[in-house]
Amino acid sequence: MLGRGIGAGFVIDGNRIMTNAHVVSNSRYLTVERDGDPNKYPAKVLFVAHDCDLALITVDPNVFKNMTPLKFGGIPELESTVSAYGYPIGGERMSVTTGIVSRIDFQLYTHSSIDQHLAIQISAQINPGNSGGPVMQNAKVVGVAFQGYSGDVAQGVAYMVPTPVISRFLKDVSDGRYDGYVDLGLTFAKLQNPAQRRYLGLKDDGRGVLVETVVTAGPCAKLLRPGDVLLAIDNHPIASDGNVDLEGEHVEMPEVVERKFKGDQVKFDIWRDKQAVSGSVQLDTVPPYLMQSHRYDVRPRYVLYGGLLFQPLSLDLLEAYQPQDLRLRHFFDFYVIDQLYLEHPDVVVLTNILPDPINTYLSAYRGGIVDEINGKKIRTLDDLAQTFAQPADRFVINMIGDGPPLVLDPKQVEAARERIRTRYNVVREENLQEQPSAKTTAMQTQL
Amino acid sequence: MRRLIVSLSLISIVATGALAKKEVPAPTNKDIKQKLLSLVRVNVTGQPYDYFRPWQKKAPVSKRALGAVLSKGRVLVTADLVLNQNYVELERAESGEKTAANVEVIDYEANLALLEPTDKNFLAGISPLEIDSNTVVGDRIAAWQLEPTGSLVATEGLVTTIQMTRYPADVAQFLTYRISLPMQYRENSYTIPLVKNNKLAGLLLRYDPRSQLIDAIPAPIITHFLKEAEGEHYQGFPAVGFSFFPTRDPELRKFAGQTGKPSGVYVTSVEPNMPATKAGMQVGDIVTAIGNHEIDQNGNYVDPLYGKIEFTNLISAHSYSGDVLPFQIQREGKPMELKVTLEHRDAKDYVSPPYSLDDSPKYIVLGGLIFQELSRQYLKEWGPNWQHEAPARFVYFDRFQSELFPGEHRRIVILSQVLPANNTIGYDEVSYLTVTKVNGREIKSLNDLAEAVKQPIEGGFIKIETEEDPKQIELDAKDIAAEAPDLQENYGIPSLQRLD
Repeated sequence: MLGRGIGAGFVIDGNRIMTNAHVVSNSRYLTVERDGDPNKYPAKVLFVAHDCDLALITVDPNVFKNMTPLKFGGIPELESTVSAYGYPIGGERMSVTTGIVSRIDFQLYTHSSIDQHLAIQISAQINPGNSGGPVMQNAKVVGVAFQGYSGDVAQGVAYMVPTPVISRFLKDVSDGRYDGYVDLGLTFAKLQNPAQRRYLGLKDDGRGVLVETVVTAGPCAKLLRPGDVLLAIDNHPIASDGNVDLEGEHVEMPEVVERKFKGDQVKFDIWRDKQAVSGSVQLDTVPPYLMQSHRYDVRPRYVLYGGLLFQPLSLDLLEAYQPQDLRLRHFFDFYVIDQLYLEHPDVVVLTNILPDPINTYLSAYRGGIVDEINGKKIRTLDDLAQTFAQPADRFVINMIGDGPPLVLDPKQVEAARERIRTRYNVVREENLQEQPSAKTTAMQTQL
Repeated sequence: MRRLIVSLSLISIVATGALAKKEVPAPTNKDIKQKLLSLVRVNVTGQPYDYFRPWQKKAPVSKRALGAVLSKGRVLVTADLVLNQNYVELERAESGEKTAANVEVIDYEANLALLEPTDKNFLAGISPLEIDSNTVVGDRIAAWQLEPTGSLVATEGLVTTIQMTRYPADVAQFLTYRISLPMQYRENSYTIPLVKNNKLAGLLLRYDPRSQLIDAIPAPIITHFLKEAEGEHYQGFPAVGFSFFPTRDPELRKFAGQTGKPSGVYVTSVEPNMPATKAGMQVGDIVTAIGNHEIDQNGNYVDPLYGKIEFTNLISAHSYSGDVLPFQIQREGKPMELKVTLEHRDAKDYVSPPYSLDDSPKYIVLGGLIFQELSRQYLKEWGPNWQHEAPARFVYFDRFQSELFPGEHRRIVILSQVLPANNTIGYDEVSYLTVTKVNGREIKSLNDLAEAVKQPIEGGFIKIETEEDPKQIELDAKDIAAEAPDLQENYGIPSLQRLD
């Protein structure tokens, strides 16, 4: 399906244009226009950060002649006035709206729908077409307009990506690659109950949070375990409500990690079994979270065998099929927190069936999660593809749960292969890698 | 306009038919009074438990219905009418005379109940309804309702399908009549008798006013219920305890070793401690016949009355707990016979009971933490869309209980809510947790929890471990005891626990 959209962007140093990731995501062809200039300039994407909804693009260097790059400011004061620039609901001429800074706190970034970062709420009107546009104060950029609510939910509530997030993005890409946000991969609880504090042997000093779950695939797995109390992070004391004082500001503990990069260290002071210990971890991304996140610019992975389409479970898959199946929902919801990814790095789902005589009785299996084939555990989509590629008299596919096995005869599948390919115009029977789309690859070679 | 005329004429025909054959001239109201309808009004005050505040009941609700008067002074109604009843009253249609009644037998799975008036002479003069079990597709059946004056309103409809469907208690498939019937639904009546040739053919199970389709509890299920109700101990409808899948797919038949004529259903699971397992049934068997009734690849047998219908009807409608049924099976292609002794499966034998309707819910309030046992009744507090609105993990446990806890005799103890109090400071964001251990002991029922909290761990703490975050919660046993009277007072909790 082809669609067309517009957003705004602004020129920063190094002949770069900053905009939102959601403006350029999944784009096949991108052009840039300047206010008062009749030309359209084809643009290239330099970097996209889906986790913080920022992107850098560029056009022919000549376009940047006579243009002054914008400079960044800091975090604006509450109640101070800011101005948002952009092209709300399209139009040829730039629009300016003003508002005040209403709130500064952590917000869900809806582009990925799983990442939470600092965001600044402003009262300026922001509409589609404002996305990616600069929000200015005293002739400096203090944020990038990126999300708001539709009018029937809340009015006069818009959000901008603040400069700490922007400068982190610019620093991350300075080595020519965007690594993305790192995460501790743990959940923690406030420690405000007096009996619980006494049980843990803690002083009544309002310090410490309780470690609940440590994600095995995350960086803290080697150091922390459930029941540990975190007293300080990088020598900043952690209050029992989970806040730390950082550079004079009272922020949530993960903010310390937000400002760091892949490979950076973070040090914890830990209270374990009534003893003080400490240790450091090397920060990294936590891959299982990607399953619960919107993905862009990647090709969906699948295997088509005998007209049966197998795909790994993901947020985009769930939204595409909207299954009411309680088991699928469970595997999605609890994939990270119950560590289901350990046994099922891919939750391989039989999502669809291209009808053919060989699969005409199999519709009841749709929505099933593949557990084993011929007694062998299927952990990933690659496992599935490899199993189907091996010779066998038959494939007995057991789904998770107590349903019947799905039995396929490879000879019949082979005989039906050409028929299914032709009838459904199947270009490729499998895609096992989330290869970046062709355009992105070409772009990266130019860098 | 034409439609209206047709339905009006239908009513007059049925009103006649209710009392006499069609060729007899239509009776006057006077005749109806003289002959006395075999119907009584039933007025029920019900008061369900509030599973979110398990120590109290919700506001009382009044329900009305029409009961069918049967022989031996009994009145048949649906079970959902008398659920959680505080008071049941019968009212004679023609005189408005009333008397209290008792629920003698109730079956939640089949949604049927028998009432008896406290005044034995109350039904005097009313001739009981006989039961007609021979309804087939194409028959016409009338829904009997009453005018406020007590006179009969009968609406006739056509039986369009007879099939197996799930009843509201959702434990098994039961025979159901589907009737296309343009009924004017009066007084939100819970029970409406359905009558054919002056005999009881069924009771209303559910009505969809948009499609004007009625599902009815059919006479064969009613007969089964009445026959068992005659005995000393009412057990309930029998179960076998296996799940199955059609064998339409030739590859599946080949896999199961079936080489001859395609037939039977593939056994996908057998429940521990249930009749199928006790008789030796295994996953992968193909059940080809029960007694002399052959089962086809879709799971249907040929019923003398209905033609093809799912074989589960042979179990629920035609058999009783304690009956021994010969199951013909094929195991890896070899024919075998299994003698299956049927049993009723009580709601209490489930990990998450599918219904627990008149039982008062168990609970423990500990320092402000509310503990309960997971049940479908609890989940249904989230309303009709509970499967998507109740806490996802609990719905998952309930839905897949036989798979997750095979053969286990246990309950799932949940920490459902937190009442703000001194002892629960800092725990106010906690809710919907699954309790695994208390004071180091495994918790498989609320009684386990009650025992475990009596023995605090070192330092006088009570340690609660949960499957979900925060994974551990500690309370001080002494502080809990000290605050208990205030907690009861503040939240109006008459007792901090109910375990029976």
